[in-house]
Amino acid sequence: MAIAVMLITGIAGAGMYVMKLRADNATLKANQLKLETAVEEQNKVLEQQKKDFTAIMESNKKLNVLIGTFKKDLDDLDKRFTKKNRDIGKLAIERTESIERIVNKGGSNAARCIELASGAEHTEEELKATLKSEINPECPALANPSYVPFQ
Amino acid sequence: MYHFNKILALAFIVLLTGCSIGGEKKIKIFSVEEPRKKLDYPMPTPLQIEEIKWIIITSENANEVFKKLEEAGIDPVLFGITDKDFQVLARNFAQIRQKLQETNNLLEEYKKYYEDTDNSK
Repeated sequence: MAIAVMLITGIAGAGMYVMKLRADNATLKANQLKLETAVEEQNKVLEQQKKDFTAIMESNKKLNVLIGTFKKDLDDLDKRFTKKNRDIGKLAIERTESIERIVNKGGSNAARCIELASGAEHTEEELKATLKSEINPECPALANPSYVPFQ
Repeated sequence: MYHFNKILALAFIVLLTGCSIGGEKKIKIFSVEEPRKKLDYPMPTPLQIEEIKWIIITSENANEVFKKLEEAGIDPVLFGITDKDFQVLARNFAQIRQKLQETNNLLEEYKKYYEDTDNSK
């Protein structure tokens, strides 16, 4: 009788041990799965970070180029007023009508530049302009993307 | 009695291990992300600038200019700036235009960055 009880107890113990092992195994498998998912997610994050970095660099480069053109446009504007010690006031006294015409043309070009800067569509004429005589001198980089200034 | 004990022991073992027969259930972990709604504002409407006419007035042509204005039915009055201030005005307008362009460009870049890629989360 005692042997039978011991045997039964032993078998029951073994059964319980196996059950514990199975439970542990399930927990380990779940943990493994979680780890694999975490690694996969981390890889995705790293990949996205690389993409983001490239996009940010490209965007920065584009904006720096744009800011460079701003400086050049302002310098060109100053040059138009002061080139070869030019005095726009004296010129306006001497050649009133032609300066008035130039000023009005310049004003009209500058207004068009503001429209384009605010997102207006380019006209075909503006897009095709390649010669100096065809461009909008107030903002050539903005108004005439096909125009390459002669250095 | 002996057989009864055996049956009882077997039943006990089956009772303890029965749930695990056939292997443990597979665990599936998944997450569903609801993408953030896009702001989706339209880009600002481009400006349509009205043209203004510049009149150059000197001590020599002043009378002629006012006469022409009167003939055209326009009040003979002009709001003037000096040649130096005209240069300043031109420069100020150029700077405003550049700021507008820069802001619009930034807006486009932000839109591209957060909407074209998977950065919208």
